[in-house]
Amino acid sequence: MTTPTRKQWSNATWRVWTVVGGMGLGALILTGRLIQLQIIDHSQYAEEARLSHINEITLSDRRGALLDRNGYPLAASEDAYNVMVERRAWEDPADAAEAAALISEATGVPAQQMIEIVATVDAFEVPVIRGLGYDQAIAVRELDLYGVRLLDSERRVYPEGNLAAQLLGFVGQDATGLTGLEVDLDSVLTGAAGSLTYERDGLGREIAIGERSETPALPGSNVVLTIDRYIQRIAERELDRALKEHKADGGTIVVVQPETGEVLAMASRPTFDVTNPDVSDESKQALFRNRAITDEYEPGSVFKLFTTAAALDQGLVSPGSWWYDSGVLEIDGWSIRNWDFSSNGSQTVQQILTKSLNTGAAWMASLCGPDVFYDYVARFGFGATTNSILSGEVAGHVRTPVNEPETWRPVDMATNSYGQGITATPLQMAMALAAIGNDGMLMKPHLVHEISGPAGVQANAPEQVRQVMSAETARTLLDMMGVVVDTTPTLQINGYRAGGKSGTANVSSEIGGYKPDAYISSFAGLAPLDNPQLAIIVKIDEPKDVPWGTVVAAPAFGRIAEEALAYMNVPPSEPVLVLGDQ
Amino acid sequence: MAANPRQQAHPAPGVWSSSTLPVILIVAAVVVGIAALLPLLQSSGATSTAGHIRGLEQQREDMEALLHQQEVEVARLGSLERIEQEARIRLKMGSPRTIHYFSVDAAAPAPHRLPSRFLPPQEQPGDTGTSLWEDVIDWLPTP
Repeated sequence: MTTPTRKQWSNATWRVWTVVGGMGLGALILTGRLIQLQIIDHSQYAEEARLSHINEITLSDRRGALLDRNGYPLAASEDAYNVMVERRAWEDPADAAEAAALISEATGVPAQQMIEIVATVDAFEVPVIRGLGYDQAIAVRELDLYGVRLLDSERRVYPEGNLAAQLLGFVGQDATGLTGLEVDLDSVLTGAAGSLTYERDGLGREIAIGERSETPALPGSNVVLTIDRYIQRIAERELDRALKEHKADGGTIVVVQPETGEVLAMASRPTFDVTNPDVSDESKQALFRNRAITDEYEPGSVFKLFTTAAALDQGLVSPGSWWYDSGVLEIDGWSIRNWDFSSNGSQTVQQILTKSLNTGAAWMASLCGPDVFYDYVARFGFGATTNSILSGEVAGHVRTPVNEPETWRPVDMATNSYGQGITATPLQMAMALAAIGNDGMLMKPHLVHEISGPAGVQANAPEQVRQVMSAETARTLLDMMGVVVDTTPTLQINGYRAGGKSGTANVSSEIGGYKPDAYISSFAGLAPLDNPQLAIIVKIDEPKDVPWGTVVAAPAFGRIAEEALAYMNVPPSEPVLVLGDQ
Repeated sequence: MAANPRQQAHPAPGVWSSSTLPVILIVAAVVVGIAALLPLLQSSGATSTAGHIRGLEQQREDMEALLHQQEVEVARLGSLERIEQEARIRLKMGSPRTIHYFSVDAAAPAPHRLPSRFLPPQEQPGDTGTSLWEDVIDWLPTP
């Protein structure tokens, strides 16, 4: 055995130190990496680890219902279920076909349709059926298919069908309001979201004894509207009847309770199927709008009521004041004529209203002067929105010497006095009309009676806007409206005295001026006359046979008032047979 | 002659030479085994209970869904459209040609009760406090 030389010792030491150094470096790198993982990036990796076995889902409770004033549901939600399929469970075509066939048998949805959805959508989990009903959902659950689960959802249902479709609106797939009150009251109808956090196993199932915390979701509030489903149905039926009889393009009816400003009915045509709205067709989207607040029109002779109100309230005229109608009124080189080109000689203010004389209305406006006349126009609420809760409401157009001094001319006030050259929405007209029946007090449109939710019941009280005219003027005007109806046999209502005024106005053309041979026929009425419970505006767009509001719109008013007053238990104005215990 | 200490160090008859040692060991093994099984038994018991609770919750949700479905069905059956359809088709009724008004001195019938879901929430009597057991559990220093 030989002893290692110095050189050999030196080589051995170098190799040992190389190995030791290498190991030390490796240990250093590992230590550094550990420090990075365990200390520097600790929170990131801890969160990733937590998320890999903790599942957090958002919970939502049922959307509130829209109820009529008596609590009948107009729009409500019922439980529905989406069938969710994990893509990896259907990767094998044979497995997918077998599972889809079973689901199809339980639900009636074509199997191929479900397979195609799973194949085309790039997501971990795909909804293959949406809005499944309870019975079918239970059938799917009992199949107990791998990778298939039910996700709670909800479906909006409309027990009264398409009643008040534009007013109510509809919701999207995510149960969020898209149009109408569904969107205007969305924050109230939608409840507060909750959350559920739980530990899951490798297959994604909840670990029974694992960590679990739940913040329950709160249901949305039910909203009780002022709409009465019975009166709404009468209004829609009569609107349909008027459109059919006169081959009209469309129309609107608004029914208001004068004392409270409660909107009892708001109907528009043409309408749409609220249970299955076609949002993909842009041409049909115009059907979704609530024409009672979005469509402004020239009200025509109905506006003479407000011109008369201004002159009466200012003490410039009385119902018996005389005026001479020569058949034409010259203003700044423009000739104002009556609708039938008649000249009637000496006429009272009552006769101006009864015969609907344009010249007489222009005369009363001239007595008031622009400042007073437009002040009353504004006081009645024209030229400004009614501040209802409905979105999309337009203000209408009122041109005055103040807001358009460069273009306004005196003849504008003359034409405005009989409702031409001025625009308003049916809701504005209804509220202004209701002020006449409410002793001159203009009310804000009242649409929500109360909101009932987890926090309790919140009642909404009617809101006054302003006193437009004195109560005495309002009653005088009401009597004059009664005379208008009394002297027109076709306007009278069985059992009740009513007051009203008809209107026939030209239709503005999109290219300026008026459309030839196109009219809007309307009627504004209050009933019963001694204590008005209903203010009704009937507006019929472009009837094809006759244009007169008395013929086209007034019959609808009469039938609505007659039926609605009996329904509301309002005693008839005329003597009736009395039954008692005697 | 002095005694050899090594000979005196013989183990005294005791635990290790006792005939009871195997019994003690078996008992100890059984105790340790049972102690080890306890968490498993508790765990499986808790799992079973949790599963039972989930099942009951599912049942409750199903019953609620069924109830809501029935409520909507009641609303559908009470819709004006259906009532009118039934009146016209099944009962062969039509709109009146003339209307006669009668004043009567009897109160109008009370409106029928709607599905409770659409009525304002009512406070449940006796639902104001917590139970004794809840108070005890809250009092315990549980994590």
